[in-house]
Amino acid sequence: MDLSNKNTESTRSRRRYVVSKRLDRIFLELGDVYAFIARFFKELWFPPYELKEIINQCYEIGVRSLPLISLTGFIIGIVFTNQSRPSLADFGAAALLPALISVAIIRAIGPLVTALIAAGRVASGIGAELGSMRVTEQIDAMEVSATNPYKFLVVSRVLASTLMIPALTMYTTLVSLLGGYLNIRQNEQTSLTTFFYQVFEAITFLDLAASSVKSVIFGFTIGMVGCYKGYNSSKGTEGVGKAANSSVVTAMFLIFIEELLIMQVINALRSF
Amino acid sequence: MSTSDNKRSIIVGIFVFLAIVILIAGIFTLGGQQKRFIESIAVRAVFNDVAGLKTGNNVWFSGVKIGTIKNIRLLGDSQVEITMNIEERVQEYIRKDAVARISSESFIGNKNIVIDGGSQKAAPVEDGDIIKSVSPLNTDDMMETLQRNNKNLAAITDDFKVLSAKVVQGEGTVGAILTDSMLANNFRAMVANLQQASQNTVRASNALTNFTSKLNTEGALANELLTDTTVYSELRTSMAQLKQATTSAAELTNNLNATSAKLNNNNNAVGVLLADEEFARQLKGTMQNLETSTQKFDQNMEALQSNFLLRGYFKKQEKEETKKQEQLKSQPQQPDTTKQQ
Repeated sequence: MDLSNKNTESTRSRRRYVVSKRLDRIFLELGDVYAFIARFFKELWFPPYELKEIINQCYEIGVRSLPLISLTGFIIGIVFTNQSRPSLADFGAAALLPALISVAIIRAIGPLVTALIAAGRVASGIGAELGSMRVTEQIDAMEVSATNPYKFLVVSRVLASTLMIPALTMYTTLVSLLGGYLNIRQNEQTSLTTFFYQVFEAITFLDLAASSVKSVIFGFTIGMVGCYKGYNSSKGTEGVGKAANSSVVTAMFLIFIEELLIMQVINALRSF
Repeated sequence: MSTSDNKRSIIVGIFVFLAIVILIAGIFTLGGQQKRFIESIAVRAVFNDVAGLKTGNNVWFSGVKIGTIKNIRLLGDSQVEITMNIEERVQEYIRKDAVARISSESFIGNKNIVIDGGSQKAAPVEDGDIIKSVSPLNTDDMMETLQRNNKNLAAITDDFKVLSAKVVQGEGTVGAILTDSMLANNFRAMVANLQQASQNTVRASNALTNFTSKLNTEGALANELLTDTTVYSELRTSMAQLKQATTSAAELTNNLNATSAKLNNNNNAVGVLLADEEFARQLKGTMQNLETSTQKFDQNMEALQSNFLLRGYFKKQEKEETKKQEQLKSQPQQPDTTKQQ
């Protein structure tokens, strides 16, 4: 009798979940994510616009990230050019090096490296900042004081990230190409004019557009992931660390997934 | 708004502005390079095979990039129609009879269209025209030709292998040349003779050089003839005069010949005088008769002097003669001035 009672209880407890506890949690979190994103697009169009906070965040995300991202892009330009040379030299096609680095940097490396560095610096920063605000109940205090915390904290940061990552991508691409040029100049004595002629010879408007669109999507992803993780962080100091860490990991993972999908779409467009 | 906020806003503004400048510069450079912002006309060509040509590839004319491939579409009977965007400013140089062919930017590079030729007689190409095309050189065809060349080369080397074996064994003329010592000696002698001949040639050429240098010496006749235009014109005049003189001499000779021919004839006075023997005999008789008559006339004249009718006249003449001689003797002799001088 006791046994039958226990079985009934376990069946009831299993029925509390639609599929399983873990899967239900994932889908619930996905629902929260959709609601969080939808709220962003809803809040975006209505005042107050928090322009001052947006500019502050643009400064933090864009200007403060520039030295790190420029240096990284410059080094990647040099290293990529140097490592690609032997492969082309084997075919006697070292003269095609500018075209190769142009395609690689403008199509992929520029936006991707910028997004990854920004994910490490910006997403973790936003996650930690909003997480600590949640932990110290500053967000709750804002709600009580009739200030829309989502508007002030999330919309401004996501918007700043969405605007600044494309700008940073432009800088990174230019600096990476200059790094590549320095290496080519040192080895092949190619002039700057010839280098940039070959760089633009190898790409199309679709590549430029794809690079820009990609960086906008990456920027939105970084801002949104950082804000979501920080805004919904669990209580306690441990929650801040988790929010920061989870922001970086999730943002990077999503960036790679998006890169893969966008590449497929662009290749499909290229064939038209 | 505080100063710090203003500063941040300005920095963000500059940051975004520079990023937009980079993007716009990239767009314009790319557009300029791909001739996107240039007025262009569309020209078409139909090929059987485009060998991997893609939209956006370049169009070249006389080594100058003049446009890009705008569209590629398949036509019936497995043909491909290419539409090219060509800059309007080069329209006048491309004629309606120009020929388009598919080429490659490098051995492994992108394909492109090269427009060749076009005669001045034909009108310039216009928007929407279809120009002639030639089939591209296929890599497979090239490889096939190369393979045929390889086979030929293998056959040649096989033949050469047999030939060289015979040469080594001393067979045939070449083998004999390489192995026969007598032939080698003859060859050596021949080379020595050749050496001698070449030395002689060198000497001759030196002499010729000296001679020509003398000819080139300023003031020498040959140099004057070759360089002085006055001498040349004078020489030309002299030659003309000489020619004229020669012509006159020839005419004179002809006249003399004609005259001498006439002299040999009896139908004129001088010819009769010179050539007629009978006339000569008659003339001789006449002369003898004349001599006889003269002697007789002298006798008659002497007889007349003795005649009384004419004696007075002759005496008068004798007296006047005597008188003149006496007057000459009575005049004193004049000194000879010419000798003194």
